[in-house]
Amino acid sequence: MIAYGVGIGWRPEIAGFVAQLPGLKFAEVVAESVHAHGDLPVGLSELRNRGVAVVPHGVKLSLGGAEPVEPARITHLAAVADRLGAPLVSEHIAFVRAGGVEAGHLLPIPRSREAIDAVVANVKRTQAELSVPIALEPIATLFDWPDDELDEGAFLTEILERTDALLLLDVANIYANALNRGTEPTELLDRLPLERIAYVHVAGGAEHDGIYHDTHTDAVPQPVLDLVAELCRRHRPPALMLERDGDYPAAAELRTELDAIASASGYPAVT
Amino acid sequence: MTSLAERQASLVAALTAGGAVPPGFDGRLVEAARVALLRKRAGEVARQWPELARSFGGGWLREWARWAAARPTQGSLRDGWDLARDLVGRDALPRAAGAELAMREAAMHYDGESAPRPRRGPAVRGAAGSVALQIAGRVRLLRRG
Repeated sequence: MIAYGVGIGWRPEIAGFVAQLPGLKFAEVVAESVHAHGDLPVGLSELRNRGVAVVPHGVKLSLGGAEPVEPARITHLAAVADRLGAPLVSEHIAFVRAGGVEAGHLLPIPRSREAIDAVVANVKRTQAELSVPIALEPIATLFDWPDDELDEGAFLTEILERTDALLLLDVANIYANALNRGTEPTELLDRLPLERIAYVHVAGGAEHDGIYHDTHTDAVPQPVLDLVAELCRRHRPPALMLERDGDYPAAAELRTELDAIASASGYPAVT
Repeated sequence: MTSLAERQASLVAALTAGGAVPPGFDGRLVEAARVALLRKRAGEVARQWPELARSFGGGWLREWARWAAARPTQGSLRDGWDLARDLVGRDALPRAAGAELAMREAAMHYDGESAPRPRRGPAVRGAAGSVALQIAGRVRLLRRG
């Protein structure tokens, strides 16, 4: 994959800011927020005209659900990818609904053979309709299932190998999970196929009552940036992007965060 | 052993509908996730319904959580709408939130069961002292409560 360098999650609220990043080559958009056939939001079509790669990031496919992924959701994701001329798409190793009820959030699946089979089947159903590769993102979770059979490294590696999917690595998720489980975040880096990374998410969070929450609405903490640097020492991924989903700070603050990711990864600043 | 589908459904019920925490899970951590989820939804609904959220000031999260704790999300537009109507039914919608609801009610048809859609004909709707008029898709506030 091309080395895009530092990117950002495009959201309507920060479209003006993103439009003014001179060096930007990579952005991501929430797939479900884009119409498959209607006009693209103005800011997004401008980015495309500038040659910025825009990757649709699905959040509602529920690939980790025990039920087969809904065909209409796959069709939409594939259409949005074509619409954007995207080099790839991404989704999560998670489920978001069960028994017809929406959870409203990404939830973990058990690290069991049964759950791996379910997610692999859903990823394959999705790949069958896509004309570009899919990258899968391991999530941040506050709790684990009681029946985990595999550790996270083995679990993720098996899913990637069986689906031949790329990896969307969220360093903030790795940091959050390690902090909450009392493990070392670098242990997971040692266990993952880093050469499969398509791109990386970097996001902020906050601690409440001794638990770290991956909020995407707070500043990126220094230890997350340190982990970016540690990852890049082992294997520098083709793109790393800031993921902010609300409580948007002033432009200067977003610029500082993008510059910090550039400096931690050794890619040129895009601001 | 119950199926993965059933176990996923029980977990979602515990997080969104007041169901019991399924056996074997760490109750403290599942509770932390449940509260975090309500906080996230409160923020999403506040973006969609800013006047409704503002009308409760610092008490928004508590008001929201009390209503939403046993109601899984239908999307933030419908969640805020359902809460606002529920408040109207209890005569508890703050006047500061009336205009926002009246304008939405005048603009769109919402049956409480499926996605709201634009009204075909003109409509006048009131809420908590505010009145809104919609003609040919244009909504005008006639009175602010």
